[in-house]
Amino acid sequence: MKGTTTITIDNSLRRPRMHHFDDIYPFSAIVAQERMKKALILNAINPRIGGVLIKGEKGTAKSTAARALAHLLPSRLVVDGCIFGCNPADVKGMCVDCQKKYPDLISKSSKMRVVELPISATEDKVVGSLDLEHALKMGEKKFEPGILAKANRNILYVDEVNLLNDHIVDVLLDAAAMGMNFIEREGVSYVHPSAFILIGTMNPEEGDLRPQLLDRFGLCVDIEGIHDAETRVEVIRRRQNYEGTPEVFIGSWQSDEQDLRERIILAQDLLPKVTVSDEMVQMIAQICIDMAVDGHRADIVMMKTAATIAAFKGRTEVIEEDVREAAELVLSHRMRRQPFSEQQMDKDKMEQSIQKSQQEKKQPEQQEQNPENQKPKENTMPDGSTTTQFAEGQPFKVNQKPLATPRRIDSFKREGSGRRSVTESRDGKYVRSRIPETIGPDIALDATIRAAAPRQKNREGILAVKIEMSDLREKVRERRMGNTVLFVVDASGSMGAQQRMTAVKGAILSLLIDAYQKRDRVGLVIFRGKSAEVLLPPTSSVELARKYMQQLPVGGKTPLAHGLSKAFEVLQREKMINQHTIPRLILISDGKANVSMGSGSPMDDAKEVAAHIRDAGISSLVIDSEKGFIAFGLAQILSDELGAKYLKLEDLQADQIADVVKGIGM
Amino acid sequence: MHHFNDIYPFSAIVGQEQMKKALILNAINPRIGGVLIKGEKGTAKSTAARALAHLLPAREVVEGCIFGCDPADKKGLCLDCQKRQADLTTTTARMRVIELPISATEDKVVGSLDIEHALKKGEKKFEPGILAQAHRNILYVDEVNLLNDHIVDVLLDAAAMGMNFIEREGVSYVHPSAFILIGTMNPEEGELRPQLLDRFGLCVDIEGIHDANTRVEVIRRRQKYDDSPEEFIPTWESAEQELRDRIVRAQQLLSQVTVSDEMLRMIAQICIDMAVDGHRADITMMKTAATIAAYNGRNSVNDEDVRDAAALVLSHRMRRRPFSEQQMDRQKMEESIQKSQAGEHSHEGHHHHHH
Repeated sequence: MKGTTTITIDNSLRRPRMHHFDDIYPFSAIVAQERMKKALILNAINPRIGGVLIKGEKGTAKSTAARALAHLLPSRLVVDGCIFGCNPADVKGMCVDCQKKYPDLISKSSKMRVVELPISATEDKVVGSLDLEHALKMGEKKFEPGILAKANRNILYVDEVNLLNDHIVDVLLDAAAMGMNFIEREGVSYVHPSAFILIGTMNPEEGDLRPQLLDRFGLCVDIEGIHDAETRVEVIRRRQNYEGTPEVFIGSWQSDEQDLRERIILAQDLLPKVTVSDEMVQMIAQICIDMAVDGHRADIVMMKTAATIAAFKGRTEVIEEDVREAAELVLSHRMRRQPFSEQQMDKDKMEQSIQKSQQEKKQPEQQEQNPENQKPKENTMPDGSTTTQFAEGQPFKVNQKPLATPRRIDSFKREGSGRRSVTESRDGKYVRSRIPETIGPDIALDATIRAAAPRQKNREGILAVKIEMSDLREKVRERRMGNTVLFVVDASGSMGAQQRMTAVKGAILSLLIDAYQKRDRVGLVIFRGKSAEVLLPPTSSVELARKYMQQLPVGGKTPLAHGLSKAFEVLQREKMINQHTIPRLILISDGKANVSMGSGSPMDDAKEVAAHIRDAGISSLVIDSEKGFIAFGLAQILSDELGAKYLKLEDLQADQIADVVKGIGM
Repeated sequence: MHHFNDIYPFSAIVGQEQMKKALILNAINPRIGGVLIKGEKGTAKSTAARALAHLLPAREVVEGCIFGCDPADKKGLCLDCQKRQADLTTTTARMRVIELPISATEDKVVGSLDIEHALKKGEKKFEPGILAQAHRNILYVDEVNLLNDHIVDVLLDAAAMGMNFIEREGVSYVHPSAFILIGTMNPEEGELRPQLLDRFGLCVDIEGIHDANTRVEVIRRRQKYDDSPEEFIPTWESAEQELRDRIVRAQQLLSQVTVSDEMLRMIAQICIDMAVDGHRADITMMKTAATIAAYNGRNSVNDEDVRDAAALVLSHRMRRRPFSEQQMDRQKMEESIQKSQAGEHSHEGHHHHHH
C-alpha cells in the first residue's frame, strides 16, 4: 500500500457513552429488595467495598438494579485525557503515560461509569490488543485498550456472571488480584492499571461460580420474589407505567433519584470521619473466626462495609448494628461451603459471637444440631396412589483412592480446574487465537489481519491488506467438557421399605458432591409405577439436582427397563448436543423389575436395554439397594449385563469404596 | 422472503386454538415476549410459526437502516440512526420472521468483523448477525431445546437487555436487538434450561388431534395445499385478511385497555399461589390479559381475560414436581381467584408455607 491508502477510523464502532442506560428503569422505583439496593448503594458510596454479587431466581430485577446504579454513581478526580482515568493523587497507581507526564497533569472531575462485559466477549477485547488501524496506517505497533482498561476505577458489570467463559474468568481474576492488566500478545507488551468494582448477577439454577471469583465480590445478596400480593401489584403497576410512557415515569422519579444521589454524596463526605472502635474491630474479628471464613478479606470488607453503613445513616461511629448489617452482606458467600448446604449465614451463631466479643470471655462451643425430622411425609399423587418422601441420609465423603476400572474411556485430558477444555472441533466458543501448527480450516481472520498489519508497508499486492502464510492465526475454542453423570433411581414401592430411600438419598448426595467438585454435569432419571421420567435433564447446577432429589417420591411398581431406556435416550442426546461429553450412568435399584416394556419378561427387557447401553460404550455403576437375608442378586445380574462396576449400598456407606466415580472411569 | 410467499395460510390450520391464540396475541402486542410451542412431532408447530409472518402488521421503520429502527423511539435508535437523527426518512415494513438455525455459529448470531471489508479497505467494520436482523422482528428457533449452550447464553443476554453488545474479534459495537422469541420443541428430545424457558412470554402445549373428522380435515387441506398451493392459498386470502384486520383493530385498541386494581390483585394472587419464580409472570400475565381484551374488542380486562392469560403464562413457569406434568392446576387457580375477589390477603396460617 506504500502509504497511499487512507485509513478511516469508523467512529460508529466506538461504544457510545452510556447512552442507552439513560432510558433505564429508575433505581428508586424498584419495589422492595432492600438488601440488594443497600448493597449497591454502599458500593456507590465506597468503591473500596469491592463490588457485589446478586444471586437470585429469574425475574427479580437483578439486572435492572445493577444497570440502574449507573445513575447514582459519584464523581471523582481523573487525569484529563487519560484513557484509564488515572487518579491524579495516586502516583504509584498511574498508567505509564501519566507517570511520565507527572506532575504536569490536569485534573478534572468525572462520573464513575458502568462498563459492561458481555459473556460473548473474546479475549482480545477484554485484555486489549494491537491497534489494527494504527498498524495498517503507520506500520507501527500500538496498544488498543480493552474492557479491562475502560473498567479502571469504574464498575465492571457482568450479567449472568456464572456463564462467563473460564478463560475470561482467569483473565479477570488476574487483573483483579493485581489491580493491573499485563498484556503480552501480538507483539505488544503493555501494562496498565485495572482496578475495578465487580458487579455481577447470576441465577444459581444455571450453575455455580468458582470460589476464587466468588471471593472477589465484596458483598453478596440472595434475592427472591416478593410474596405479598399488594407489593406484587405495585411491581406490576410500576412496570406497566414505565413501559407505557418511560419519559413520564422516569420524570416522576427524578426527585427520589436526586434525594438518593444527595444522600450518597453526604455519606461520601462523612465516610473519612467515621471511626471504628477497637471494640467493634474485635467484634468483627470474632465473627469471622466463629463463622470460619477463609483468609482475612472478609474482616477487612466487613469493616469497610460497617463504616459505610454508618456514614449512610449519618453517623461518624460504627455501632453494633452496623456490624450486624455488614456481616449479612459480607459473610454469606465466604463461609467455607459445605456443598449443598444452602450457603447461608447462621444468625444465631453470629449473635453468639457478638456476645462473646462483648463479654470478652469464651463460651463453651455449643454444638446444636437440629434434630432432623426423620419421619417420612406422605403425599397423595394425582393418580390417587400414595407416595412417600424420605429425608436425605447424611452425606459421607467419597474416598479418593482410585479403583481399577472395568472399562475406561479416558480419551481426553482435563486442564486446570477440569471444568472445560480446549477442543479441536469448530463448535466451541471462540475465545482467543494462536499460531497454528498446521494450517487448518478454523482461521481467526481478525487475529491474522492484526498479525499482518504492522508489515504492510513492505508488502506488494492489490488488496489493502496483504496476508502471508506466516500471518495466519487459528481460533482457540472452548466448550464445556467433561462427564455427564446420569443418576437412574428406582423410586418404586420396594425402595420405601426400611428407610431404604433415606440411605439412597444419602448415597446420591455423596455422589453429587463428588460431581460438584469435578464440575460434571448431572441429571436425574427416576422410574416408578408404569413409567420413567427425566426429573432433571443434565445440568451443571448440582444445586438444582439436589432440589429435585429432595422431592423424590416413592411408590408403585418397578419399571426398570423403562428407566434404563429413558436414561439411554438422555445420554445419547447429550452426546449429540455435545460430542465431547463422557456419558456415565449410575443405577440405584434392587433390580426387582416387575413391569415389562414389550412382550418379554420385565427382567429380560431390562437386560436387553442394559446390553444396548453397554454396546454404546456408556460406562455404568450399579448401586444395589437390596437388603436382608433373602437376597435375589438381581442387581448383580443386571450389573454384569451393563458391564458395570457393582456396589452394595452398605459398601458405599461403610466408606470402603474408593472414589466410585473414578471407579467407572470418571 | 421468497419462500414465505408460498407458505401454508395461518387461518387454514385446523384446531390448535391455544397455539394460534398465543401467536396472534404476540402479533398484536410484541411486548408479551414470544411463545414457546411444545408438542409432539407433526402438530403444525413450525407451519404455524412460519405462517404467522403473513399476519404480521406493518410498522414504521427508518429507511435504509439494517436494524429497522423505530423512528419514533429516539432513544432506542442504533448508532447510525442517532447520528443522522435530523434527516431520517421513514417507511413502513412488515414484521419478519428471522430463523435461527440450530447449527448457527456464535459469530453469525452475534455478528463479527467484516473480513472482506477489512481485507479490501484495511478498515474495521462490523458485520451484523442474526441478532441484528431480529430487531423488531420475530426470532424463530425450531427445536430450540437442541440449541448449543453458548448460543443460548448469547440469546439470553440479548433478550434481557434488548441490546446486543459485541466485544469480539477486534470489534466493539452495540446495537438494539429487541425481538419476539418464538421457539418450538418436542419435549421428548430434552428439556429447556429454566432461564431460557422464562424468557418466553407464553407457552402452549399441543397435541395431535384425536377426533377422526377433524383429522380428516387436516389431511384434506394439506393435500389440497400440496397439490396446488397457487389455488389453495388464494381461497384462504379473505380469512387471512379478516384476521389481519382484527389484529390491526386490536392493536389500536390496546393502548386504551385498562387493568383495574382488582384485576391486578387477582393476577398477583394467582402468581403467589402458583409459586412461580420472580415477577416476570405477573407482568406478562397483565400484558397478555390486556391484549386478550383488545382482541375481543373490549377496553377493560375482566376475570375471563385473566384466566385465559394465566393458562398461557403459567404452565412453563411453575416449579415442577416429580411425576406431575408441569401443568397448571385449574382448581387451585380458581381458588386464588376467589381469594382475591373476597379481598382476602395472603397471610395464610398453617397449610401453605412459602419459603
